Amino acid sequence: MAEAALKELASLEKYLGLKKTNKYSTKGERKVPVLQTKDGQDIVGLVTIACHLVKAAKQEQLLGRTREESAVVQQWLEYRIVQLGAPGAKEESRSTLRDLNEYLEDKVYFGGDFLSLADILMYYGLHSCMVDLTVQDREKFVNVSRWFSHIQQLPNVQQHLPRVHIMKNRIYTNVH
Amino acid sequence: MRLYVSEGNPQCLKVLAAFELSGAQCEVEAVSHEECIVPFLGHSKLPALLLDNGNFLFSSNVICRYLLTSGGDETSTAVGQWLEWETLDLQPVALHALRLAVLQDKKSEALESLRPSLSYIERSLQKTGKTFLTSDELSAADVVLWGTLYPLLSEPMLLTAVDFKALTAWFQRVGSFPACKKASDGTFKGHGLQSLKSYLQRQPTNSTQATRATTD
Repeated sequence: MAEAALKELASLEKYLGLKKTNKYSTKGERKVPVLQTKDGQDIVGLVTIACHLVKAAKQEQLLGRTREESAVVQQWLEYRIVQLGAPGAKEESRSTLRDLNEYLEDKVYFGGDFLSLADILMYYGLHSCMVDLTVQDREKFVNVSRWFSHIQQLPNVQQHLPRVHIMKNRIYTNVH
Repeated sequence: MRLYVSEGNPQCLKVLAAFELSGAQCEVEAVSHEECIVPFLGHSKLPALLLDNGNFLFSSNVICRYLLTSGGDETSTAVGQWLEWETLDLQPVALHALRLAVLQDKKSEALESLRPSLSYIERSLQKTGKTFLTSDELSAADVVLWGTLYPLLSEPMLLTAVDFKALTAWFQRVGSFPACKKASDGTFKGHGLQSLKSYLQRQPTNSTQATRATTD
């Protein structure tokens, strides 16, 4: 978990075009990531650090352009660490996929019509789960698959993760 | 905006306090604990806030932050950090402690399970020397932590049992805001912890979360 979080932050830094000068460690039994800033302050927690990096890269639009948008982005960032970052999350992954599939039915991104940090962290968080899905399940969770395939093709998002192949054409016709 | 709450749900307290503090206009509807309000979620998640643009916020912390921050302020990293800690560390511990106190009548055990988290807050308040968690002004972080701790720490016996001076002063300072008073009076209606009983009986137990270490 800890290593995954640190890899995730390193990938995010690259995506944002930040120079790799940040120092990270982890703390506690849960191995929470910690960023040591240059002025000696610690920033603790995956989402908190990720938001800090976005601001450092001056790409605030990834956090939402209005109060409503930023609330929705924060909502999915929280969902990500609660549902996909906790021990035992694997067992619940089907109900998580079901919820996300419903939500993404009429949306391009988690924020609706704009790319945000929520898409990037959700992509990292869902990757192992998508790798494990059967082709049939990838079709069942068709909206998640469409969104996932879109995000992994964006420049510089993929980074440390292997590409997941998602079929464009359905091979199972009776799946709902 | 429309806010959905369920009676005796401890997560609703901070949201009701945040609404009072923000002065935002909003209809509040009380529903049952099992009601599925958020259309895309397969299970009940309350409180939930329906925004004017049709989006749902379904986490008490995100709702509080939405109501109490104007966006883009310098303290947002500090507020975000407290909210993340509260979500992943304090909430599971507090739920476990509430279960012990309300369903099993083990109040001193409940307090012990909460002690490492309280100690973490105490040390942080002492270190910064600020009036509130992130600055000298009340923020979403204060309302969120206060709301989670209120059911446990407002029991007279429990607060005097912990020797955390900065925490006690902070807890009473936040609670003395008329908005917080109004929200807590409305939630508990003079019945104290017992008003949370029906909610707690419906929550699935998750022992791995509850026994997880909370701080460094």
